Formats: sequence, C-alpha cells, structure tokens
Amino acid sequence: MTELVVSNVQKWLGGLQILKGASFTAQRGSIVALLGASGSGKTTLLRCVAGLEQPEIGQIVIGGKTVLDGETKIALPPEQRNIGLVFQSYALWPHRTVKENVGYGLKLRGVTPADIEKRIQAILDRMGLGHLADRFPSQLSGGQQQRVAICRALVYEPRVLLLDEPLSNLDAKLREEARYWIRKLILDLEICAILVTHDQSEALAAADNILLLQDGRIVQQGGPQEIYSNPNSFYSADFLGANNIVKAKVKSVDGKSAIIGGENWSLDGTVREASGLAASEDARAVIRVEQISVSDQPQAGGLEMNLDDSIYLGDRWEYRLRRGDFVAKAHGAKQLSTGTVWARIPSESVWVFSAGQR
Amino acid sequence: MSTHTQAPAALVLAKAAAEKKYPARMPRHGNASLYRRVVIGLLTIAVLAPVGLIVYQSFLTAAFFSPRAQFGLDAYKYVFTDRNFYKALGTTAIFSFGMVAIAVPLGGLLAFLITRTDIRGRRLLEILVLVPMFISSIVLAFGYTVSVGPTGFVSLFVRGILGFVPWNIYSLPGMILIAGLSHVPHVYLYVSSAMRNLPSDLEEAARTTGASIWQVSRDVTLPMVLPALIFAAALNILLGFETFGIPLVLGDPNGIMVLTTYIYKLTTLFGTPTYQLMAVVAVVLILITLPLVWMQRKLLRNARKYAAMGGKGARVATLKLGGSGQAIALSIIGFWLFVSVALPIGGIAVRAFVDAWGEGVNLLDHLTFANFDRMLEVPSLVRGIVNTVLLSVVGGAVAVGIYLIVGLAGHRNWGLSNTVLDYIVLLPRALPGLVIGLAFFWVFLFVPLLTPLRPTLVSLFIAYVVVGLSYGLRLLQGTLIQVAPELEESARTTGATIGRTWKDVVIPIVRPGLAGAWALIMIIFLREYATGVYLMGAGTEVIGSLMVSLLQTGAMNTIAALSLISIVLTGAGLALALRLGAKIHD
Repeated sequence: MTELVVSNVQKWLGGLQILKGASFTAQRGSIVALLGASGSGKTTLLRCVAGLEQPEIGQIVIGGKTVLDGETKIALPPEQRNIGLVFQSYALWPHRTVKENVGYGLKLRGVTPADIEKRIQAILDRMGLGHLADRFPSQLSGGQQQRVAICRALVYEPRVLLLDEPLSNLDAKLREEARYWIRKLILDLEICAILVTHDQSEALAAADNILLLQDGRIVQQGGPQEIYSNPNSFYSADFLGANNIVKAKVKSVDGKSAIIGGENWSLDGTVREASGLAASEDARAVIRVEQISVSDQPQAGGLEMNLDDSIYLGDRWEYRLRRGDFVAKAHGAKQLSTGTVWARIPSESVWVFSAGQR
Repeated sequence: MSTHTQAPAALVLAKAAAEKKYPARMPRHGNASLYRRVVIGLLTIAVLAPVGLIVYQSFLTAAFFSPRAQFGLDAYKYVFTDRNFYKALGTTAIFSFGMVAIAVPLGGLLAFLITRTDIRGRRLLEILVLVPMFISSIVLAFGYTVSVGPTGFVSLFVRGILGFVPWNIYSLPGMILIAGLSHVPHVYLYVSSAMRNLPSDLEEAARTTGASIWQVSRDVTLPMVLPALIFAAALNILLGFETFGIPLVLGDPNGIMVLTTYIYKLTTLFGTPTYQLMAVVAVVLILITLPLVWMQRKLLRNARKYAAMGGKGARVATLKLGGSGQAIALSIIGFWLFVSVALPIGGIAVRAFVDAWGEGVNLLDHLTFANFDRMLEVPSLVRGIVNTVLLSVVGGAVAVGIYLIVGLAGHRNWGLSNTVLDYIVLLPRALPGLVIGLAFFWVFLFVPLLTPLRPTLVSLFIAYVVVGLSYGLRLLQGTLIQVAPELEESARTTGATIGRTWKDVVIPIVRPGLAGAWALIMIIFLREYATGVYLMGAGTEVIGSLMVSLLQTGAMNTIAALSLISIVLTGAGLALALRLGAKIHD
C-alpha cells in the first residue's frame, strides 16, 4: 500500500534551486533511503515531506491525504501531516522524562492517560528501555537516546516515519547493530519509512529502495543490489562502493562492449554511458576494487602489471598496481612481492563512461 | 546523465537567479501569523502613538487640548531662534563627545586587563566594574555632589589640607569627567565580549615572532576589537544625548544646559507648561538620536561578522602581567572603582546618616537616623518607595511576560512583520526616558479611554515597558534563540501546533532565562528616574522621579536617604540577578 507520494517537488532558497523536481513513492512495510553527498538536497527533501520546509512547486500525498500542492497552494503544517520524524541530534526535550517525551504525541491526540501509560510501557519494553521511563534524556547514553527518539516518533502510529541520519551520532559498532534492528522494527510494524543518509553501507544494508540524489535531483533509484551493480551514470557508479577510476581513450566500440586504453595498456570494458560512446573519445572507467583479482602467476586473460607495494589492512592486503598511466588498487588474502603480477579484470566489471564536460 | 545535464542546468539556474524568476513562495500555514501580526501591531501602536503625538504637538501653536491650538510653525520658530537652545545643543554635543573620549579608552583598557590578562580577583572585578551601570545616574550625580561638590565631604577634607578645592564638578569638564567615568561599564561590556571571542593563538603567534605584550596589544588585539570599540563609542554618543540626571544635578546650578534639561526647564520657564516647545525639542532630539541608533545597528552587524571570524570555542590564554604589571593594573582599576563607585556611594552612605556637616564639624557627633525617620513621616516618600518596589518587582515580572509575548511573535518569524518588529524596537532607544514619559503623559491625556489610568501606576508601567523594550526584548530573544530548532520541530512533527510547541517546549526550556531576565528588568525599572518626571502624580510617586523634583526644593537630607534606599534596592536586585544566573555580561 502506497503511503507516500512525492511528485515533482522543487524548492528554491533565495535565487538558488536546491530541489529540482524530485518524485518518488514509498510503500508500507518498506524503507526508502535518500542517499547522497552533503548538499545533494536529501535532508531538504525529507524536511519538505515533514512540512518543515515549504517547496514552491510539487505535490506530496501522505496516507491518501494531500499535504502539499503547489497548484492549489495547499501546504499543511507538520502537525497535520501525521508523520514521525527522528532527528539526527534526536532532539529529545531536555525538560521532560523519557516517558513524557514518548507520551507527548499521544497526549496531543487526546488518548486517555491510562491508555497512554500502557502504550508507552509497551513500546519502551519492546525497545528494551522499560526501566528508563523516569530518566531525563541527559541521563541516557547516545544509543538509548536514539531509541527513545524512535519510540517518540513511532508510538502514535504515524503514516510515515522519517529518519534524518539517525545513525550518524552513534559509534561504528553500535551503528551496525542499530541499522539491523531499525530495519527489523520497521518491517515488523509494517510502517513506511524514509531514511536519509550519506553513508552508502547504511543505505545498502537498511533500505529496500535507494534513491540516489545529486544536486537536487534523483539520479537513480532501485533496490540495493540493482543500484550497486547496475549504475546508470558515472556519479552513481562512483558514489557507491570502493572504486578505481581510470582515465583512458576509447579505442574501439562494438555495441555495448568497448576497448579502452592508454599509455602501453588496453582493457575490454562495457559501455555504460546512456548516450553511447564513439571511438577515440576520452573516457572514464569505473572498476570496483573487489572485481580485480591479482595473482603472482601468469593467468589467461590477465593483464600484466607492476605491483608497487602490498599494504597490510588487518583482514586483507591491499595491492597498488600500475601499468603506464593505469593505476589501480585491488585486494587479496596474502602478501605479494613487488614486481610483475597478473590482474584479471572481467570486461563486464569495467564500466566505461564518457570523460564528462569538464 | 549527470555530467551531461549539469551544464544546461547550471545555465538555467544562473538565468533564474539573474532574473529572479522563481515561483512565488507557498503560504506558511500554522505559523501563528495572525498572533504575530496582532502582537507586533499592538506593539507598533504602543511605540508609535507617543512618538506621533510628540510630532503632532510640535506643529501646534498651543497645548493639544487647548481650544486655541492651531497648526503652525510658531513653536519651531521660537526654539530655532532661542539662543539657549543652540547653547544647549552645543553643550550636548561637547558633553557626548567628551564623555566618549573618556569612557572608550578607559573601558577598552579595563576590558583588556580583565579579559586578556591574569589580573588577580578577576571574578569580583567583572561584577564590580558593571556597578555604575546599574545605579541611576541621578543617584550617582547626587553622590558626587555630597562627596566632591563644593561643600562635599572629600572637598572639605582636601580644603582642610590645601586651603582650597582644586576641582569644580559644577562645570562642563566636571560633568564630562563624571559622565565619562560612569559610562565606562557600557564600553567594557561590548569590548570585553569581543575580546573574549578573540582566539588567543592570534596573540600567541605575534608573541612568538618576538613582540612584547604591549606591541601585541597595539598591533593585534586593538585592531581586532576596533569594531567593538567603534560600536561602544556610537552607543555612548547616543547615551550622551539622552542623559538627564548628571546635567540636571551638576550643570543646572550653574546654568549649564543640555537638550534634555532644556526640555525640563521649558516647563518652569513660562510658568505654564509649553507643550509645543517641549515637543519641538523632543523632535529635534529624536532626529539626532534616530540616525545614531540606525548607525549602531549597522555597526553591530559588522562587529558580529568580525567576531565570527574567530570561530567557536576559541581558547583564551591570558597574558602574564608579572608583579609590577599586577600592581599597575590593579591600581588603575582600583582608582577608577574608587572614583566611580566608592566616592558617590560612600558619600551618599555618609550623607544619609548625618544631619549637619561643614568645616570643623565632627561627623560622628551628627550621626542620626533622623533622615529616615523624617522620610517615613511624609506619605508621598513612603508611597514612592512602595511604588518603586511594586513597579520593579511586580511590574518587572509582567514586563518580562510582555517581552516574552513579543519575543515569541518574532521567534523564527520570516514575514514582513519581523522587519517591522526590528525597526519598532529601535525607536524607544532613540527616545530619552524623559521624552517617553512626557509622550505617554500626553497619550494618557489625549486618549479619552486611557484618561482614568493616568493617575494610576499603570501609566508608569506602560511607559517603563516601552523604555525597557529594546533591552528586555534583546534579553529574551537571546534566550529564545538558544532553544535548538530541532526541539521545536520535533514537537511540530509529533503533532503539536505552534502554540502548543511554545507552551510545552519553548517556554519550559527558557524558564531559567526568564528568571534572570526578570531580575535584570527589575534593576532597570528600579534605577529609572526620568520617565516618571512628568508621568507621576500624587499616589504614583517613584524614588528616582521624587529625587528630581526634590532637587528643586533642595531637600538634601531626604534625597540622601532616598538615594541610599535606591542603592540598597539595586544591590538586592543585582544579588538576585547573580543568584538566578542572569547573564549580566550580555
């Protein structure tokens, strides 16, 4: 069931357009991640859904109710949108106890005190916070505060739960746990959630659908696997994963496959540029680090390269490879001695894009 | 796709920006815009009505309620051909600039010593330095009269040794010196906050290249705080034009007049009140002060920009003064404190408990409580004390409530009404208390509905609220802005209307700040003397204004007793403010 429809939302700030027509939908029991670098407009888009920012153009429908319409000049304030928002800073009210923080939304909705008590206790127990009900936010750890913030936004069963970088204030270990249980919670409760993040692993791990934003526009959307392994632009390819970016010239093109090369090297690749490529154009290739396998034994189809150094990373080794002006990183399980090695790079993993305008 | 579309997009964007061709804003619903407009509208009326009445009155040939009153420029003609007016204008200018010439260097030096060096007793000094600011200038002026006036205690003592008194405070230089010294805190306040925000690595960098402390201060510190110094100078020129107490007490006996005392004297000059002449001078005064206020506002913006360069959480390392440095620094501050705090307050404290003094009189023989006993026998004086306490304690609390209502109306407000509020708040700063009091006196005479309120404390209270508006609103806005926007936004997304958000989130969070603001407003109301000069009547006497009228009769014993009470009350207010954690350094 579609809970949220955002269509063609455009927003200006002064003379600057910061959202350039974002459209997406979100379903019940699924998580949509808004992923992008800082300044891509992802938080602004979330705040437009929440009603904290007013776009000039566009339409937003939450749970069947039109909350924003640029044509008819409808713009409902946040309190009439039936949403829950979890802030990056958690924004717990410092003068209220955990119980009062969580119960506030219920109180505003005229729920009876006995009912409020019951529902607060139920959700706090579910989150393992039952024993902290009478504490003040300043007496809680960061992780506990975050869970209280989620309780507060969930307890009155909003149509859409909005999460603004909810994990960025947690330390690395807690973050991995949190993204797991947040996903589980949302799927269990069958709510519709929008997650804003700049962290690709967070989006990949937690979301059902990822919207990649660049410069106020959604440049690609799809499931985590789709968006990781099938990028439609250089930006998408480069933003996700750990990559080698190779500058090269297109030597020849045959349909979707192309041969690129530079000073004393050439590689088979796949054309990913939507508008296609022609021979002798400048190109950029994106090769995921994990797609290159390196061996110190000669291999069929392997590119002979020079290993400059092997760097120990704890769980693996990083190889620094070079051949002419082709420089690459790759990973492997063991230390290799510097000198000649053979790198196997599958042609479907060499994504060739145009070199761009600049 | 991205790289290909980027260039045209950027082009469209640049075009849109150049032509300002972007869609109209969506209306902001649920932002309490009606509340904001009503509150700001009412405030605008409360501020503009008295000013409007002054301007209107200045173009009449008689008092506005007189049947003979007609439109005409007679009043302007009279004032602009009066030699005394030009003399007063000239004196006011000399007085203001002279005051700045004393207060700014001294205030800057004090700020430097207290914020940037390891001077001893800093915590105590920080508070002591501000004391002159909290005492009404009429009390201070009176204090100087009884200690270093022609027959003051200190003067008599010096004459006993030297055979003559080497100074005369009843002169323009005397007035300038005293006003300059007592306005040092106003300079200190701004310059010290600028110095605190100055990252000390800038100074340390200069020291490591071989500069001495004094070279660093001259070449690094001074240029960095220059905007604050200029701002403080502009503020003091404004205060100089508005000052009333010091010229009244020290200048008047020798016929030295400034614009405010000129207005005051116009009342008595003709036997009957010449409202139109007073209005003309008030208009002239406003025309001088309004540009000053406007300039200050611009300066303050620039100063903030400058301070922001320092970045946040700048570590302040203090310069080591060393033994002789400490001695010199402490004696500079000590001497200033002696002259501007100990002399006047000490004089008043002594004067309040003696009934006679002079050459060859042993003060110990004349110690008495008679001044206070006599005071308690006069009902108007007792009422004055009760009213003053009532106005400052209760009135101060209500005023904070009003400033809160106005502050919320301007809180995260983006509309046109916010610009209106910005400018309306500036106006009272351009009005001396004497003029505000006069204007409200007229408003209460002029508007039939309000006439019954005139003989009550309500009239004084309303005038006080306007007098304290800029300061009080700045205090509250400073407190409100500290509530993180997410705390309010999270209430909104949870389902609270903006009114609920203010009630349940904003106000509870700022409550400690409100208490501090109350204590500070209380002090402001306690020390106010000029506003009540015209407004007070039988039953609505206040200490400060009583002193102004008693000065005419020369009842020194009573004035001394009232002054002491005023100082004690102010001290209590200040103690309360510190206790409540008020930020007296903002």
